[in-house]
Amino acid sequence: MPSLWQLVTTFKGRSFEPAQAERPVSDSSRDEERELVERAKRDPHQFAALYDRHFQQIYRFVYSRVREQTAAEDVTSEVFMKALKAMPRYQDTGRPFAAWLYQIAVNAIADRYRTLRPAQPLDDFHDLSVAGPALEDVAARRDEVRRIWALVEALPHQQRTALVLKFQEDMKIEDIAVVMGKSAGAVKLLIHRGVTRLRDEADTLRPVE
Amino acid sequence: MNSYHDPELEDVLQDDELRRLAAVLSTTRLPEPPLDDAFRTGLRRQLMHEAWAMTEGRPSWWSRLFAPPGLAWAGAVAGVLLIAAVAVWSATQQTGGFNTIFVASPIDGNRNVALQQPILVSFNQPMDHQATEQAVQITPATTVAYSWDANTLAVTPVGGNLAPNTQYQVTIGPGAKTASGKQLAAPQTITFVTQAAPSPTPAPSPRPTPSSALGEKELATLGGATAPTVQWSSDSSSIYFVDGKGALDVVSVKGGAVTAIAADGASSPSVAPAGDRLAYIRAGKIEVLTFASGKTVEITPSTPPVLVGWAKSTVVWAASNAIYTDSDGGPAKLAALPATGAVTVLSISPDGGHAAYRQDQNLLVLDLATGMSLQLGQAGAKFAGWSPDGTLLLYSTADHIVVADTLGVTQSTLPAGDASWSSQDAILLGSDTDIEQVRPDGTNLSKLSSGTYHSPVWAPDGSSFAFIRGGGLWVAVAPALPPQPTAVDEATTVVKAFMEARLKGVGDQAGTFLDDTGKKDYATGGLSLLITGDPRFTRYYVVTAEQVATQPDTVRFVVRLVLTRGKIDVAAYEETLVLVRDATSKHFLVDHATGGPQRDLGKGAAVVSVDVAADTIKVTFDSDLDPATVKDGVVLLDSKGRQVDTTASYANRTVTLSGLDLKEGSQYKLVVLTTVRDVLGHNVAAEYDLDVVGPSPKKHGNHRVVVVSPSPTASPSAAAG
Repeated sequence: MPSLWQLVTTFKGRSFEPAQAERPVSDSSRDEERELVERAKRDPHQFAALYDRHFQQIYRFVYSRVREQTAAEDVTSEVFMKALKAMPRYQDTGRPFAAWLYQIAVNAIADRYRTLRPAQPLDDFHDLSVAGPALEDVAARRDEVRRIWALVEALPHQQRTALVLKFQEDMKIEDIAVVMGKSAGAVKLLIHRGVTRLRDEADTLRPVE
Repeated sequence: MNSYHDPELEDVLQDDELRRLAAVLSTTRLPEPPLDDAFRTGLRRQLMHEAWAMTEGRPSWWSRLFAPPGLAWAGAVAGVLLIAAVAVWSATQQTGGFNTIFVASPIDGNRNVALQQPILVSFNQPMDHQATEQAVQITPATTVAYSWDANTLAVTPVGGNLAPNTQYQVTIGPGAKTASGKQLAAPQTITFVTQAAPSPTPAPSPRPTPSSALGEKELATLGGATAPTVQWSSDSSSIYFVDGKGALDVVSVKGGAVTAIAADGASSPSVAPAGDRLAYIRAGKIEVLTFASGKTVEITPSTPPVLVGWAKSTVVWAASNAIYTDSDGGPAKLAALPATGAVTVLSISPDGGHAAYRQDQNLLVLDLATGMSLQLGQAGAKFAGWSPDGTLLLYSTADHIVVADTLGVTQSTLPAGDASWSSQDAILLGSDTDIEQVRPDGTNLSKLSSGTYHSPVWAPDGSSFAFIRGGGLWVAVAPALPPQPTAVDEATTVVKAFMEARLKGVGDQAGTFLDDTGKKDYATGGLSLLITGDPRFTRYYVVTAEQVATQPDTVRFVVRLVLTRGKIDVAAYEETLVLVRDATSKHFLVDHATGGPQRDLGKGAAVVSVDVAADTIKVTFDSDLDPATVKDGVVLLDSKGRQVDTTASYANRTVTLSGLDLKEGSQYKLVVLTTVRDVLGHNVAAEYDLDVVGPSPKKHGNHRVVVVSPSPTASPSAAAG
């Protein structure tokens, strides 16, 4: 019987393959981004290139937090509009430009949902389907994966944000720290607490070897 | 395999279950959220609208002139007084509004303007739209459409894009007037230069190949062996490996029985570069098997060996304290390893010149000739492989692979994965989930197939590769190689470097791109390496490039050099450069250069590029043409001067001659006659002749296959051809 790991990695290979944009950014790509940023600072029209480059990841991140299309559209609009207006004041600190956008997004979401919790149930995770060859117990394993993500959704807001930025957006701890306005140590603590809480609440999710 | 490895989180995920959960979180991808494309494009439009507003709202140069931060307080006060005086004076004027009309454009003065955009012209006050539109003049002649957003006029070529490599002059004439009726005092001109046309769309990345198409098959089980010890025979027919019991085995890539060479206790097999011998470690000794005789020779080092390699035909091995080689007088120390810290030798380079080792958390490379060590990357870097010639190496960091030379200088970065570098310069990157292929410079990354591909190892001839999957040794047929840069691409890089050096006036540097005959052409052929005087040399562009021979690679370019007076491009001339690949260095050098006559710019339509295929020739002009003059004005002649039957059509500044059947290698001549007129009725200033060679369909990536011989001199080769 395949282990959960094997199934999960099968999932990744078959249907959850990371997009190219999520690959580690090469030096040349970073240089290209710096150039785009410099241009946009000089001429707001050039912001279009940054928008095209980062729209998808920011929208995806925002949606993962608010889980409702209209709200995701509102927040995404706010993020890019704020970024455009603040562009002349943007300082390159060596972090990816996206980290700044995530930071604006995190703040915008916090402002919007300061008192509310996203209400959308986790039915969206039914899309965690497997397109690969049929395996006997794929459905059961898929349920487990879905339940882990369901537990993530129930985590405190900051733990959830840290986990999503780390594990879904593949960001470095230091960049997440900038985004969340915390120290790297504090981010690690959030991740540790988040994963520990998942472990404590997921007694039924033992590995199947 | 069921835990998560991330150096960033090693200290916080210390429990297996925590790491397992982290693995689940990092390896699943949430489904892409629902997205309305109309929202995406609508937001983009909204942002651009805001950008316009920001540009218009931004303090203009004349108001910034009076901005307090740049002046002392006294200056600020003086500015306020001046503004007050202007305001009082303005209020006394009869026409109302502002008295000076300012015209600006974000692209004014820009010499690298993208082709896909309108020409934006901003005014400092509301304008009379109709009168202003009628006052716009554009050189080169271009049919445009107008639209307004507040005080900004967008001038859009009806044909879509702007012409490439072209200087535009957009003049707002005195006929322009404000909404309140005040006329522009003097014509104002916006000048900019456009970019080169984009390269032809590159071939799409190959789609992932189904595993079955790679002809994958399992050759042997590894019996629990984890460290990859795969070695190919030099003829790529069989694979040597050490199984979990320490047996050194060999198996044919065609499959069949596994044969044991050493029953147990073997490690670190290494095939000699010549392919005639196999060295491996067993019981603290090095055994060297000669295939032809079947005999084994033992080397007994004083310190137990841990790793074996070859330097040409000599065995090289690592022990805990040093790297040794075999000599007539017994083991000889090549280079010592550090005596401090936990030192582990990881690999000896294929040429036997270097060794990679770990000292505590650091990865280092040891030069066996000098004994010098250099650290690779930061602490925690992991060794990932060598180039086949041993001159470059790969190491991995937390999230990617670095290609570095043996001095540790980074050459490029690649995505993470288990790497193997082929003799044809393709790098495989295997992982739990897929296998990818990439060029060493990081280009042409493509996913080959999904599935588990651990520790891939190319066969020496690049025909197949071995990999580890599920405790077994597998082999797969090599996929198609990612595309190489074409000879035209490589030569283009040299032409650009050559021309940039000339543009900067650095003659010595430009001279390094010339071979002896090329130098002679510039010394005595009436050509100047450095272009001085007025009008001055300000820019250049490649009109066309063609590979004309392959042994050696020979590429011919026509480069247009543009001469500028003030801000205006006034003239241009062309040089035909023939670049030949040097037999030794493999680099292209300019071998031959000829110059053409100087032509005035701004006097009628000019050809800016020509693309040739066997059945069509596309001639792109900088101006919109009078279509009625195209049919008889753009003609193709064969080598005997007879007109070739063709159908001429015209759209978007491009004349297309279709219905052709150009013979490979044959000489033709494209002629643009002075009867061709632009939409304003100006004729082409002088006849333009282009020697065209029938394209070869086999020439990979050779998208432009024409040679321009500047008119009106007829090319002797065309006449003789």
